[in-house]
Amino acid sequence: MTDNPIVKGKLVCVALNDADQFEAMQAEFNEAPYKSAPTQPVLYFKPHNTWSTEGAEVEWAADADSMVVGASLAVVFGKECCRVSQEEALDYVGGYTLVHDFSLPEKSYYRPDIKGKCLDGSAPIGGAVAAASDVADPQSLSVVTKVNGEIVNDMPVARTVRGVAELISTISYIMTLQPGDVIAVAFPGNRAPVNKGDKVTSEIAGVVSLNNQLGQ
Amino acid sequence: MKHARVLFNGSELAVTVEENGQLKSKADGQLINEADVQWLCPVENPGTIFALGLNYADHARELAFEPPKEPLVFLKGTNTLTGHKQNAYRPDNIEFQHYECELVAVIGKEGKNISREDAMDYVAGYTVCNDFAIRDYLENYYRPNLRVKSRDSLLPIGPYVIDKEDVGDISDLRVTTHVNGELTQDGTTKDIIFDVPFLVEYLSKIMTLKPGDMIATGTPEGLKDMQPGDKVVCEIEKIGALETYIVSEQEFYGDKY
Repeated sequence: MTDNPIVKGKLVCVALNDADQFEAMQAEFNEAPYKSAPTQPVLYFKPHNTWSTEGAEVEWAADADSMVVGASLAVVFGKECCRVSQEEALDYVGGYTLVHDFSLPEKSYYRPDIKGKCLDGSAPIGGAVAAASDVADPQSLSVVTKVNGEIVNDMPVARTVRGVAELISTISYIMTLQPGDVIAVAFPGNRAPVNKGDKVTSEIAGVVSLNNQLGQ
Repeated sequence: MKHARVLFNGSELAVTVEENGQLKSKADGQLINEADVQWLCPVENPGTIFALGLNYADHARELAFEPPKEPLVFLKGTNTLTGHKQNAYRPDNIEFQHYECELVAVIGKEGKNISREDAMDYVAGYTVCNDFAIRDYLENYYRPNLRVKSRDSLLPIGPYVIDKEDVGDISDLRVTTHVNGELTQDGTTKDIIFDVPFLVEYLSKIMTLKPGDMIATGTPEGLKDMQPGDKVVCEIEKIGALETYIVSEQEFYGDKY
C-alpha cells in the first residue's frame, strides 16, 4: 500500500449515482431488503489503508474469485466546506482528479460493504490534480476506462442522478469537509470485471489520467 | 496509564491523567488542572473508525433483529470526533436521536491477517465513545448510512485512552448511560456477540490495521431520545466516564448555521 499525497482526510464515494443504473434498478429498489428507492445519495468511505497512487500495482484480494473496477471524477477540496449551497459549492473545490475503486463485485447495497470496498491499496487517486480554475464545468467531463487497452466504460458526468454541486452541498450538511478531503462523484453502474495482471487506465481527456495494474 | 489530549493555553498538549484527576504534560511534566483545559479526542492521529451494529445480544432483540451471524461493521469519518465534556448537536426537525455507549479498542501496532490468539498484541488500550444515531435518517442502503452515522460532533470519545494492561479482562464490564442523572442504559460487555479479539482477526483478514485505528464495539439495549440541554454520561467500568452536552444545530454551527 502506498501513501497518497492528494487525499489527506476522507475519501467519500457515491454509489448508485449513474442515472442509467438507477433507472434500471427501480424494480429491485422496491423489493426487500431495500423496500423503496434511496431518497439520499448513497455514500461509502474508502479508508486510509485503501489509498494508493498513479502507477501502483493493486493487490488481488485474497481468496477472491472476481474483482471489478469503477473510475470516477473526484473533487479535491481546497478549503473547509461546511453547509454550503449548491450555488457556491464549486468554490470550495481545489481541483479535480480520478479515483479507481477496485472492489469485489457490488452484489448488495443493503449493508456497508467492508469486505468488498476496504481492500488494501484498492483506491488509487491521481495521477495529477487539475486546478479547479482550469475546469470550467465538471458536469461536461467524461471518464473513459480501458482494461488492457479496450474501452469498458465511458461515463459522462452529466449522466448522474445528482451532479457535482448538489453532492458537495448535500454532503457538506452531513460532514464538514476539510482541505485534502476527496469525493468521488460519478462511478458507472456497470463496474468492469478485471483479472489478475490486467492494466486499467482511466482518462478525462485533456485533464487527467490514472494507470494501475492488478497484481498476480 | 491514562493518555489524553487537551487544548491548554491555545496549544494541543499530550497529557497523562493522574490518580488525583490532575493532568500532567508529557512534554515537561507540568501539572494542569482539568478546569483549565478543553478535552480533545485522545487519539492523536485518528485512522479508520470502525463501529459495530447490533453487537450486543440484548440490543439486537430491542431493535427486533436476529443477532447477526457475521459482524455488521460500518465506518465513520474523523469529522465525527469530539472530546470529553464537549457539545454534540441534535439536527433540526427530527424525531429520534439516541446515544450509544461503546467500548473502543484502539489499535497500537500495524498488522494484517492477525490471529485471534495474537489479536491483543495489536491493541494499545481502550476508551469510551458515544456513537450517536439519528434514526429518522436510516435508509436501507449501506445501512447504517453516513447520514445517520458520520455527522460532525456525533462521536464524542474519551476522556482518555487507558493502557490495556491497566484494565485486564474486558469480558464482563458494566456499560451504563445516564441522561441528566437518570440511568437509562445498563448492560455488560458479557453480552457482546463478536468480541475484540474476534474483530481484530476479522477486520485484519480484510485489510491492514494501523495505529490510530479504532474499533467501537457496539452498544447494549436502552435507547432514549436526546434533546438540546441534555447531559449524557457514557461510562464503562474500569475504563472511564465520557460526558457530552446536547445542543441545537443552530447553537452548534453558530455563524455557519
